[in-house]
Amino acid sequence: MTTRTLDLGRPLPSLPRNPFSPLATLARRRLHLTVRTPRELLVPMLTPILFALVIAPALKEALHTSSSYEAYVATGTIGLLIPLNTMFAGLSVLVERESGAQRELLAAPVPRPLLVLGNLIVAFGVTALQIGVLIGVARARGIHFDVAGPGVLWFLGGAALFTVGMYGAAESLAARVPSAEEYISRVPAIAIVPWFLAGSLFPITALPTFLTWFARFLPLTHALALVRYGLLNDPSGLHNIWRMHSVTEMAALSMLVVGAFAAALTAAGIRLFTRGAVG
Amino acid sequence: MDTAIEVRQLVKTYAGDVRAVRDISFDVDRGEVFGLLGPNGAGKSTTVGMLTTTVAPSSGAARLAGFDVVRSPLEARSVSSVVFQEAVVDRALTGRSHLDIHARLWRVAPSEAGDRIARLSETLGLADLLDRPVGTYSGGERRRLEIARALVSRPSVLFLDEPTVGLDPRVRAELLDLIAGLRDRLETTILLTTHYLDEAERLCDRLAIMHEGKIVALDTPHALRADLGEKIVELRVRDQPAAALDRLRDSGLAGRDAFAVGTTITIPLHDHDDTVATAEIERSGIAPTAITTREPTLDDVYLRLTGGQLHNAA
Repeated sequence: MTTRTLDLGRPLPSLPRNPFSPLATLARRRLHLTVRTPRELLVPMLTPILFALVIAPALKEALHTSSSYEAYVATGTIGLLIPLNTMFAGLSVLVERESGAQRELLAAPVPRPLLVLGNLIVAFGVTALQIGVLIGVARARGIHFDVAGPGVLWFLGGAALFTVGMYGAAESLAARVPSAEEYISRVPAIAIVPWFLAGSLFPITALPTFLTWFARFLPLTHALALVRYGLLNDPSGLHNIWRMHSVTEMAALSMLVVGAFAAALTAAGIRLFTRGAVG
Repeated sequence: MDTAIEVRQLVKTYAGDVRAVRDISFDVDRGEVFGLLGPNGAGKSTTVGMLTTTVAPSSGAARLAGFDVVRSPLEARSVSSVVFQEAVVDRALTGRSHLDIHARLWRVAPSEAGDRIARLSETLGLADLLDRPVGTYSGGERRRLEIARALVSRPSVLFLDEPTVGLDPRVRAELLDLIAGLRDRLETTILLTTHYLDEAERLCDRLAIMHEGKIVALDTPHALRADLGEKIVELRVRDQPAAALDRLRDSGLAGRDAFAVGTTITIPLHDHDDTVATAEIERSGIAPTAITTREPTLDDVYLRLTGGQLHNAA
């Protein structure tokens, strides 16, 4: 369908504006809604904390693995927490479309991509808080992390970019599906299945060969390898993906993968949201 | 007088060649209350959607206060506000938060926003509710809040999309009073969509009647009714209303604007006296089960133009 416009012959007055000034308002609104819905803060943390504090020690006991396995699983649970939390955040966008004030925001003199970015800021902040809680609880449980100077930047960068990408996936899904029920039915395939394949509980090389190859293409595999390199000073995840000698090069390549994932999914999320907003 | 809303040859065709709006044009003057009247599916909400930039026109043009809704959507949105047909609120947030967020997004200076929120909440009877979550509001309170929210930015153009749908009669009456009061106090141009005739008649300076995506009549409520003359006769027949109408046309009582819907025949009495008309009906050999003489209403206007009962269709 083509859009044709008629010129009505009047000059268009200019309207000076800073397109980012409403971002704080949109993010504050989303934060107020989030803190008034405690389930959005608590529920995504339950499974990862259960894994880090109960299942990992139990596996260590049952399988007679070393104490480093607890740390391995604790960091692996970050790869579950991020997708779960961002998918929950995406669900609230869908609920807002069905029964909230989204239409009022769409009628506001605000560039529509900012509506997505305002939500992303809050989802990012809440996820960061939850990862902090997870690490704090794991340390209180006696799990040891080996954070060495600038290595933490690989963890921060990998986790941050993966969070951004997963939020883009959540916005994309929210824009595509017509109801909360359909959204929820797709969450396991997006948030949980990859977690089992991405080296969360065991190295990807323990998988059948074709699944090992498949895992190398998952952004979560790269994000977890960066997280472990940053938090445990353990580059084995990077080696399992790239099979190169230079750890820094491998980390940089994985960061590129996660960065590309974040950029692509954020762009897709914004595009699908803005297209879906206009009938 | 300045034109607040300009619509030119606006068309919206959805996928599957569903033609929701078909080449409509109209102007609304500044300060005017303009009604789009029609049943569900007539194209009213699609028209409002295009004017509020949430529906992309297939062709044509529209401007709000001079801003083209396709080329300058941000500017068009900055001079307008919408009260939606359904509740569009965050139930967990307070009423004050809603007003504050609207003020910020529409770039009202914070000092000014505080004054406006205080005055609007007082005027609309919301002062005691503002710090409660909106989820605790009644339907009428929520609707008043949505109207207050739309007015915080002092829009040049206010869209009220079926503002009283779903409200109980008492709340609806209160809300109509409120909107009528706003109309008298504000310079804001209001575009109101409705399928309630009394609402349109009471609130609107002019009305466009929409049917199947087209504007089939546009004038003041008085002028629209005047087309049907001073009085009409309405008669019910047992069967064959079309044949009865033909007979009344042959007799000269019924003109081209007489119409039949179901077993009811409506005849505008332009030059006939009602007693003469009644006698003529009896002479024509039709045996009506009931005859009523009354003044024409907008319902009659709509029936004549569309052949459908407005309140039944809605």
